[in-house]
Amino acid sequence: MSDELDLNTLSDEELVGQMHDDLYDGLKDEITQSVHILLARGWTPYDILTQALVEGMRIVGIDFRDGILFVPEVLLSANAMKGGMFILRPLLAETGAPKVGKMIIGTVKGDIHDIGKNLVCMMMEGAGFEVIDLGINNGVEKYLAAIEEHQPDILGMSALLTTTMPYMKVVIDTLKEKGIRNDYIVLVGGAPLNEAFANSIGADAYCRDAAVAVETAKTFMARRQGSVQARG
Amino acid sequence: MSDTEPQGRRSGAGRAAKRAARMAPAVSTVPFITRQIPVYEVLSEEGLALIEHNADTVLEEVGIDFKGDDEALAMWRDAGADVQGERVHFPRGLCRSLVQASAPREYTQHARNPARSVIIGGKHTVFAPAYGPPFVHDLDRGRRYGTIEDFRNFVKLAYQTPYLHHSGGTVCEPVDLPVNKRHFDMVYAHMRYSDKPFMGSVTAPERAADTVAMAKILFADDLTDAATGRPKTVVTSLINANSPLTWDSTMLGAAKEYARANQACLMTPFILAGAMSPVTVAGAATVTLAEALAGIAFVQLVNPGAPVILGSFASSMSMKSGAPTFGTPEPALVLYIMAALARRLGVPFRSGGGLCASKLPDAQAAYESAGTMLPACLAGTNFVLHTAGWLEGGLAMGYEKFMMDVDQAGMFQTMLAGVDMSESGQAMDAIREVGPGKHFLGCAHTQANFETAFFPSALADNNSFEQWDAEGRQDMATRANALWKKRLHEYEAPPIDPGVDEALLDYVGRRKASFADSNV
Repeated sequence: MSDELDLNTLSDEELVGQMHDDLYDGLKDEITQSVHILLARGWTPYDILTQALVEGMRIVGIDFRDGILFVPEVLLSANAMKGGMFILRPLLAETGAPKVGKMIIGTVKGDIHDIGKNLVCMMMEGAGFEVIDLGINNGVEKYLAAIEEHQPDILGMSALLTTTMPYMKVVIDTLKEKGIRNDYIVLVGGAPLNEAFANSIGADAYCRDAAVAVETAKTFMARRQGSVQARG
Repeated sequence: MSDTEPQGRRSGAGRAAKRAARMAPAVSTVPFITRQIPVYEVLSEEGLALIEHNADTVLEEVGIDFKGDDEALAMWRDAGADVQGERVHFPRGLCRSLVQASAPREYTQHARNPARSVIIGGKHTVFAPAYGPPFVHDLDRGRRYGTIEDFRNFVKLAYQTPYLHHSGGTVCEPVDLPVNKRHFDMVYAHMRYSDKPFMGSVTAPERAADTVAMAKILFADDLTDAATGRPKTVVTSLINANSPLTWDSTMLGAAKEYARANQACLMTPFILAGAMSPVTVAGAATVTLAEALAGIAFVQLVNPGAPVILGSFASSMSMKSGAPTFGTPEPALVLYIMAALARRLGVPFRSGGGLCASKLPDAQAAYESAGTMLPACLAGTNFVLHTAGWLEGGLAMGYEKFMMDVDQAGMFQTMLAGVDMSESGQAMDAIREVGPGKHFLGCAHTQANFETAFFPSALADNNSFEQWDAEGRQDMATRANALWKKRLHEYEAPPIDPGVDEALLDYVGRRKASFADSNV
């Protein structure tokens, strides 16, 4: 690889701008290198996360929404973001910085269609969320066990079929019975759903696509951060 | 993307570069289509031979009228036909042998931009816009007479799309200009606002002569083919039969003018079955073939070797009202048969188009247009006139319909290119890389190919219901309305030698001043 540009020679401001471009272009190695440079210059992990990575992915999200970027390109961007997060995540935990958020996600019982759910995982990770993917065909007990183990902020459920989407209500009703429904943000998605369905089963929101899932998750997390801090 | 782009650090890339690249339409541009899929036929060898036999019987027994053109009648007499008054009876096989002796199987129509020259015939297909509508239609202003401004607009829109390979001819009738002079502005518009090949004026022999004279100015010293010593073919013009079984003096006069200058003639029987031919598919095909054979053979008498196209315009009819109907199955069958007959004769074939009877760019327009465009493409049509814009049986040129048709033309172009069976096309590396239970969106093969893998419609809405709802619940015609305005706003004229432009304008000015305006 012939380096035309030495990242070390850039000012902080230039480097952050370059990271936005590198995320846009899906350059994982360059993002990893830049994260190390900023850490060495004394940046806090939280500032690197928000000013360089999350801001860069916000731009990617806009151009994805506007049809400028294609899915395979956003996949590369998200992968570059993951490279940066791999370095930052333990440091963020040590410093007690505010979390972007943690999500468990899975396709509901009876449904084995997961391409859409995988895209949501990719986009959520790209936005800095920690995502625990439960895979396909998840019964209520699997969701409960994962909630217990990972203590997520968000529970995501997906279904492609009208015959499997009612199972989302089974999961939500079980959370209600256990008195823990309001501890989690419940987001649902999948081709046969709509907003009315999401409301009727007691979900917090219907997310029509992966980009909307990210936006919705961020909005709910912002509200939740307030209430978490209030709870101490 | 260039292969020479440096790997790794790409300073200056990022959002700005990508946005710039993506705003420019990422389409592969080819000057014309070379089909890579087989042709579809609907008749057996016996069936085709029977129609050829019947057409010869029509030519011999019934005859064809060559009206108001003594020169044409004399030429036929000399060629061995039995001429009685204006009716010409052809010995069996005469027309076919004249055609096969000298008519080229395919020819190049040169464009002023050599990169846009087209090959018409053989395995090639050329899409051209609709021809002849007196009215124009758009969502904002509704239906009105066409003007020279509309004419220029459609030339510009056809120039901008990679899916029309030809600028066409009378893209709409500029009714605001005097009848005897509008051809100057029409031909000049094709020459100035596009650099694609175009069609000439046929409404009078002297207007054909003006077209040839202007072409000589446009191509300057480049008009002679060094290889053959003959003039290059730079104009293809539409010569319609006055069906049934009649060629008239106006069209014959234009045909002679063009043929003598080695310019191409598109000889097209115009059949509304039930009126200009029997109602049956075989009957319509027989009349079409007889008329076309006589017309094409005539061009070869005028100038052996002059390029010709066998045209077929066939529509069905509402027997309740007499109105022509489009996109119906019977004319599609005629189209398949005529394409096969042209191949057997050995000349290029014209038919098809986005034909419809609808007044609006609506579902009727879309279904009917597809009902002719698909057969035109599968039949192996070489010159598809009326590919874009046609509404209302050809009475109106629609701005929105034009954009919708162009979108479809791009899809047909992609289909005709056939299947990539190269190593990359087989994509075994991708299948090995991904394996069961994962997805292909991130693998190397997809990363290398996603941009051009699928035809990107400029008009189809594929978003979620919610997004479509949020964006104002637009239908395709509304989106097409925005797109043609955007295209006209973005339009930049192709460069032209200022001296040539001046000479063209000088010719037009002098000719216009040399006789009075007339609307007859």
